[in-house]
Amino acid sequence: METAILQVFRYDPEKDQAPYYKEYEVPVEGTLLNALLYIKDNLDSTLTFRAFCRSEVCGSCSVKVNGKTKLACKTPMKELVETWKGKPLRIEPLNHMKVIKDLVVDIDKPIEKMKTLIPWLVPDPRVVPTDPMHESIIYPEEMEAYKDQIHCMLCFSCYSACEAVADNDRYRGPFAFSKAYRFQVDRRDIETAKEKRIRYAISGGLWSCVQCQKCIYVCPKGVKPAEDIQNLRGQAVKKGFTDKPGARKLKHFVDWIYATGQINRLYLPEEVYGNKEAREKLTKAYTEMGVEVWEVPKPTKGLMKFRDIYLEILSKEDKALDLDFSHVRKIDRMVSEIFKADICTIVDRTHEEGRSSKGLISKLKGLLGGK
Amino acid sequence: MVELDYDIVIVGGGGAGLYAALWAAENTILKVAVITKVYPTRSHTGAAEGGINAVLTHSVGDSPEAHAYDTVKGSDFLADQDAVDIMCKMGAAVIYDIAHRGVPFSRRPDGRIAQRPFGGASFPRTCYAADKTGFYILQTLYEQCLKNNVTFFNEWFLLSIIHNGEKIEGITVWDIRNGGVHLIKTKAVILATGGHARVYWNRTSNALGNTGDGTAAALRAGLPLKDMEFIQFHPTGLAKTGILVTEGARGEGGYLRNKDGERFMKRYAPEKMELAPRDIVARAIQTEIDEGRGCGPNGDYICLDLTHLGEEKINERLPQTREHAILYEGVDPVKEPIPIAPTAHYSMGGIDADKLGRTPIKGLYAAGECACISVHGANRLGGNSLLDVLVYGRLTALEAVKYADEASETKPSAAKAKDDEKRILELMEASGKEKLADLRKELGNTMMKHFGVFREEKTMKEGLEKLMEIRERAKHVKVYDTSKKFNTDLVTVLEFLNLVDLAPTIAIPAIERKESRGAHARKDYPKRDDKNFLKHSVVKLKDDGSYELSWKPVTITKFPPEERKY
Repeated sequence: METAILQVFRYDPEKDQAPYYKEYEVPVEGTLLNALLYIKDNLDSTLTFRAFCRSEVCGSCSVKVNGKTKLACKTPMKELVETWKGKPLRIEPLNHMKVIKDLVVDIDKPIEKMKTLIPWLVPDPRVVPTDPMHESIIYPEEMEAYKDQIHCMLCFSCYSACEAVADNDRYRGPFAFSKAYRFQVDRRDIETAKEKRIRYAISGGLWSCVQCQKCIYVCPKGVKPAEDIQNLRGQAVKKGFTDKPGARKLKHFVDWIYATGQINRLYLPEEVYGNKEAREKLTKAYTEMGVEVWEVPKPTKGLMKFRDIYLEILSKEDKALDLDFSHVRKIDRMVSEIFKADICTIVDRTHEEGRSSKGLISKLKGLLGGK
Repeated sequence: MVELDYDIVIVGGGGAGLYAALWAAENTILKVAVITKVYPTRSHTGAAEGGINAVLTHSVGDSPEAHAYDTVKGSDFLADQDAVDIMCKMGAAVIYDIAHRGVPFSRRPDGRIAQRPFGGASFPRTCYAADKTGFYILQTLYEQCLKNNVTFFNEWFLLSIIHNGEKIEGITVWDIRNGGVHLIKTKAVILATGGHARVYWNRTSNALGNTGDGTAAALRAGLPLKDMEFIQFHPTGLAKTGILVTEGARGEGGYLRNKDGERFMKRYAPEKMELAPRDIVARAIQTEIDEGRGCGPNGDYICLDLTHLGEEKINERLPQTREHAILYEGVDPVKEPIPIAPTAHYSMGGIDADKLGRTPIKGLYAAGECACISVHGANRLGGNSLLDVLVYGRLTALEAVKYADEASETKPSAAKAKDDEKRILELMEASGKEKLADLRKELGNTMMKHFGVFREEKTMKEGLEKLMEIRERAKHVKVYDTSKKFNTDLVTVLEFLNLVDLAPTIAIPAIERKESRGAHARKDYPKRDDKNFLKHSVVKLKDDGSYELSWKPVTITKFPPEERKY
């Protein structure tokens, strides 16, 4: 029978001074969970891990295999052996949680963190009948909005893989945001609860996510926390929670791209972090290096058309309201002052000069499906 | 030893336990705690796939009476009809309640809860949420418990039930995480510890921990267990692992075929075909296999054919089934039939409780699969277990609240806790001739071979002898892990010892019930015998460690027994 070597992390805080790895030879048959059970039944009954349903619904048995987070009952041994081509398979407990013993970690903390984001339905009495014998009507298409998030089984794979959890202990964790977002897009959930969730999400590190997308990659159930976090951010901005650097950066991107076709690195520190000196210092530094500095980019031919297309994209993603026209007008005024003419005149002039931004427009058209 | 004091303690954090906790939390200011040996969302309710039966307000032509009749007929007339009546009438109320709390039931285009046909049902009344109904219910109930700040003691294992012969006084538990026995003083206890089909260790759809811990503790505390001989074999377990393929697969139109490609159900249940009740389909499959018409090189499985449903329907309605077939069987049901065989699935029997979930001990209740109310009789219909879980979770919670509100303080003695401490110490210090994994495998094989889909006096008697021998040898099982904290070696041994205590409670009434009824199919007595056996079996454990069998009448109200044909 084909076998493989598992190097399993062992640590009993009561007895061991430090963790160590123990090697076991297991059959390459069934799943990684089968292999762990094989060890417990036949080789070493002191090996400690969690497992229950053995059919990927209970979320007990997540571990790391050579650094990658895996649900043991969903991982065929054959696949592991093929992926790692004969190399030993190092089985370790999940990251960011205290090891209780061997592969068992303390999951109370992430559960407590999740709890702060109101991960339950707070029914709006105008939508959900209070009469228990009265059905609340939900159309199949409205359930599309949370069809992925409801698969979360609290296996904490994403929590283990998350970069933001590593950096920021307050950070609630990818799954917690997905659990929260599921109710943000449920029509039956009351508006006041939705607002609270956003507020708590922000203080729970909503803007700390670096969008590394690892959570999406490791989720055994196809939940996409990184996307849910982006959507929660969008909701935060829409609800007027714009006093966080993350929200201000998003605003800077949206407004400047609309106004000029690009972001403005000179103004970024000031608009995001309130650092007013940065612009002068950067300008000085660039000038000294002999780099030409444009305080604002010169409007190019086709800018107005670009704005139309960009707005269309934002509308399609339901983000048109993110655009702050008073800010855009301020940028326009700045451009007018620098180029001594109003924005339309400048654009017309560049038309006459024959300068073009064709590349940019065709790229945007591609995004819109060639329209 | 830590001593704790609560008013109501719920043991088990699955569907019944969580729903009980929720209804208790919302309806009382008493101190309520849930004790569970795993984290609540790991519980096996999460593996229930197909759905939950209920007659809803828009179920035109259907009625709670029809549901009750189907349930009683499915039970082969062994269910207590007063209890069935309560359960079926409460169907809509619990469905709407959990829907209002957020369970994402699949919906019809008009926005109402969708229902599908299920085995043994005369109307399509099984509400479902894709093929993960139990999973969504469990998650939603957990969310709602968090919302209500329910106190959870996760990874605590029930050891003993303490009562004074009249009323409940407390329980003892093993704190898995920290190690140590705790005594919990309480006025009321709801046991919601799930089933014990793991007694068929090698061929079951159950989770690793469905070891009847509450049922075994009740047995040891002198409580009666009812109808234990009835174990449901689910017709469609994956051939290699016994992992479940939902009845929904047949509900959506799947065919069962033998090695000749024949839809053999036409010979067993010509009208209902694949959608006959589980006991009938399981026996049909076993017969096909036994008579040499099984598929595969060893002829030891049958084919569940979904290929004609098409990829789109399979992905939409049965996504998990497809995933499991690919992962655990290496077969894509879109392209090939799934190899299946019967697998031990559900315990109809359990702790003897009345139509409100009350046991003979005041303040002690049982709900869900660990209880035998009995609403399932000799055979449970698919989709009725989730309903049972919710209805009785809720009813026992309300009963417990009412009782605990008026009950006086209890004074459990610490003796039991000291005994339990001693017992655990002894396990760790035992000489250890016997190896857990081997003995457990032997138990599973004995149960499957001697008390499987078909039963016979001679083999059963041999089986019982073996079980008693295993029970003796189990005294010498050693726990190798001697650490206090998170000792899963100890926990699995305790679980095994529970199974060992329960196995004879299945075997003894199985031998004495000389008829075939529901899931209890005897080759030597192939007919139902209402004259002699229209009664519940009751098994108790005596002080000397022997088992005592007695019988108790069935409550019949509306539906007189008739021949069961599909």
